[in-house]
Amino acid sequence: MSVELPADADAVQTPAEVADLLGDLVIGREEHLNAPGFVIKPNSVVDALRRLRDQAGFDHLSCVTAQEYEDRYESIYHLTSYDDRTQEVSIVVPADKENPVSQSANEVFRTADWHEREAYDLIGIEYDDHPDLRRILLPETWQGHPLGQSYDQDQPQVVPLREHQNPLLEDQTADNDSETMYLNIGPHHPATHGVLHIKTVLDGEQVVDLEPDIGYLHRCEEQMCQNSTYRYQIMPYPDRWDYISAGLLNEWAYARTAEELADIEVPEYAQIIRTMGAELCRMAAHFLALGTFALDIYGDFTALFMYSIRDREKVQNILEELTGQRLMFNYFRLGGVVWDLPEPREDFFEMTRDFLEDLPTALEEYHDMMTSNEILQVRTVDTGVLPPEVAKSYGATGPVARGSGIDYDVRRDDPYGYYENLDWDVVTEDGCDNFSRLLVRMREVEESAKIVEQCIDLLEDWPEDERNIQSNVPRTIKPDDDTEIYKAVEGAKGELGIYIRSDGTEEPGRFKIRSPCFSNLQTLPEMSNGEYVPDAIASLGSLDIVLGEVDR
Amino acid sequence: MAGVLQGEVLLPEQIADLLGLEGALGAAVGALIGAFVVGNVMLAFTGVAGPWAKRKITAAFTDRIAVDRIGPFGLFIIVADSVRLLSKELIIPDGADRPSYDLAPLILPASAMLGFAVIPMGSLGPLNIQLADPEAGLALVFAFASIASVSLVMGGYASNNKYSLMGGLRAVAQNIAYEIPLVVTAMSVVVFTGSLQLSTIVAEQSTTLFSIAGVSIPAWFAFVNPFAFVLFLVANMAEIGRNPFDIPEAPTEIVAGYQTEYSSVYFVLFYLGEFLHVFLGGAIMATIFLGGPAGPVLPGFVWFVIKIWAFFLFTQWCRSALPRVRIDQLIEIGWKGMLVLSFANLVLTAIIVGVIA
Repeated sequence: MSVELPADADAVQTPAEVADLLGDLVIGREEHLNAPGFVIKPNSVVDALRRLRDQAGFDHLSCVTAQEYEDRYESIYHLTSYDDRTQEVSIVVPADKENPVSQSANEVFRTADWHEREAYDLIGIEYDDHPDLRRILLPETWQGHPLGQSYDQDQPQVVPLREHQNPLLEDQTADNDSETMYLNIGPHHPATHGVLHIKTVLDGEQVVDLEPDIGYLHRCEEQMCQNSTYRYQIMPYPDRWDYISAGLLNEWAYARTAEELADIEVPEYAQIIRTMGAELCRMAAHFLALGTFALDIYGDFTALFMYSIRDREKVQNILEELTGQRLMFNYFRLGGVVWDLPEPREDFFEMTRDFLEDLPTALEEYHDMMTSNEILQVRTVDTGVLPPEVAKSYGATGPVARGSGIDYDVRRDDPYGYYENLDWDVVTEDGCDNFSRLLVRMREVEESAKIVEQCIDLLEDWPEDERNIQSNVPRTIKPDDDTEIYKAVEGAKGELGIYIRSDGTEEPGRFKIRSPCFSNLQTLPEMSNGEYVPDAIASLGSLDIVLGEVDR
Repeated sequence: MAGVLQGEVLLPEQIADLLGLEGALGAAVGALIGAFVVGNVMLAFTGVAGPWAKRKITAAFTDRIAVDRIGPFGLFIIVADSVRLLSKELIIPDGADRPSYDLAPLILPASAMLGFAVIPMGSLGPLNIQLADPEAGLALVFAFASIASVSLVMGGYASNNKYSLMGGLRAVAQNIAYEIPLVVTAMSVVVFTGSLQLSTIVAEQSTTLFSIAGVSIPAWFAFVNPFAFVLFLVANMAEIGRNPFDIPEAPTEIVAGYQTEYSSVYFVLFYLGEFLHVFLGGAIMATIFLGGPAGPVLPGFVWFVIKIWAFFLFTQWCRSALPRVRIDQLIEIGWKGMLVLSFANLVLTAIIVGVIA
């Protein structure tokens, strides 16, 4: 299962111990707000990460942040542990300003593949020994690296169609004698859940090779956040990452990071409202995941899809009452939430309780129609298998990791909000297949309902004069220059992390989003190779990706 | 061509009589008018089923309302949809294999229409609605029904699209895997009747099986041999390609299978053909397992219509409730399960019939 650890490795790793472990690889120290940072030489990345993974239990490469300074390029590997999320360490790898080359971590963590491609694409750092260093979010013909400092925003991007890679070209030139068939699944295809292009090589009906091609929905979310002020302007953007009802969960990711960065307290009352709102969002997101997974397996707009949309609708109505919006909530503020529960409060509580009361019946119905349906079981059990070691190597989180038996949930492992004080469980299933991921989501809906119910109880009894929804937050927030932080929350799809480096102004110097879907989608080839096309489609459905979050 | 047991006069002859025509001319005119009428009735059913009934039924299963804006119960959507579909641009992809690309959408509905020629649809007033009653009627109707896969393969390969090609190939694999159990199961009925003639098969089922409290249960083969009925029902679902066996189309996997590239009139024809095949499947079921047009009080033709619509309803129910099996699982069920079961059923039926009779 997990990597073999020496006997003393499970103990808490102090910065000094990590420094000892890395030994002479370290050429400098940095202090990030969330973790100690160790500066290492660009050619010792593999060595350092391997030592940390094998000997100190840092088996989760959560994110790779790249950025350009006046005098250097820098990649930061945010490492943590699946067993103990509070263990964090940042490996900082500077690269030469003139010739930014750094060693690829792909050999140690498979997830580095896409993360480094993104860093190359947007910043311009080149990674040695990377198996496939191509652009990932932008088109192949893009000129320059848009998040680099020397990038000229005004230069025309001439990318005519004839110069652009023709997606059919590869196909046309295929060897006529070959026994495999190349097939483009997407960008327009009923099962891609957005604009995703999957380059597939088929042998008959079986998938020989499969490569997701992303970037169709890239909207420069990171850059937009870098050009917005901490206090008010950034908060609306997170709603647009995972736009499938998970808005509040995304907002929390930014809120948590920025609050820690600027040292802002959140009143307890506001934390409870946040927790309730976030769990409602998770339920809505999981309902949609169930419905679309059913759609992928059943292949039509069947009863299950409509039922799950119906139940999601009820959650949406509650969220609409709470936030005033149905899609782009923009409800959180740094230091709390924007307004209190809607008046009359009794009606809101009653509405939510009604929904929670009906929920077991609804879930029963899903179990009747889905999980106990033999055909569905034949289709999903033991298909799209993702062993836990592979899932860890790819940085899979959320229901995808928990469906592979990895007991990892940021809500419990690195507590925030009000989760610590509530009674709920982390759901895991050991099947590692599509069926397990489905089950995890269905059971998580129950857990979320438990949390919401407890929050409602607390809110109902909260004394009227202590309903403090926002702490006192200054109008402009200017964190100290060069303060760095990486914090994550448990989004609907997994660990949603934000890295912020402040540059002394009221706008972030670097804003990096760690999207759970981005890492989860990377596992698709592992799950699908050798399987049949319908199973590859089912696996894609069970990953529950949102392209808005993958591409940002 | 009159069979041994055939008692009633067929529709073409009746029409010829009414018109006062005799000989070859009478037979030709009668047959033409009869075919025109039967064909149009079936087309009208499809017209109601496709744009309206299917939506209404699915909506009822999935907690929705569906079309209700235009006309009573939204019925005029049929007109609106016809105009919409027929006025769309007919897009023919580059590199399409022209004659077969155009022929495929014609063959599918045509094959189903041919099948209705031999189905005994019961009487309506003085008319006995059956166009022809050849001695090999059952074999004929299966032959007509399976022409459909030719159309699907043609459409699939002529579209110059990989999804279409996969759909076409899946259609063949599926049809071969299920045609055999289908026919073998039907043979177990023939063991009872001793004849392939459809009117004979219907007549055989009109006897009373047993009586409960004065209500006599007819000897429909669905009651006589329920096992064969279930087998046939499943094989029939695969044969007409409905859930859980809608593998040749498989939206979300291979987009829309063989019909991916078809638009406008060609698309309508494919759609029409599929619904006609569902109705033909229902008609075959009704004829060999459900006593054909038999039923109390109402005229035979009305009962026949009720039965084929009931089958249509069943297909829509499955569509709303059942997941689709995978292609390899489908083939496995067909060859390893259905085939064995259908032969076992045939042998057992033959032994039982041999011992009793």
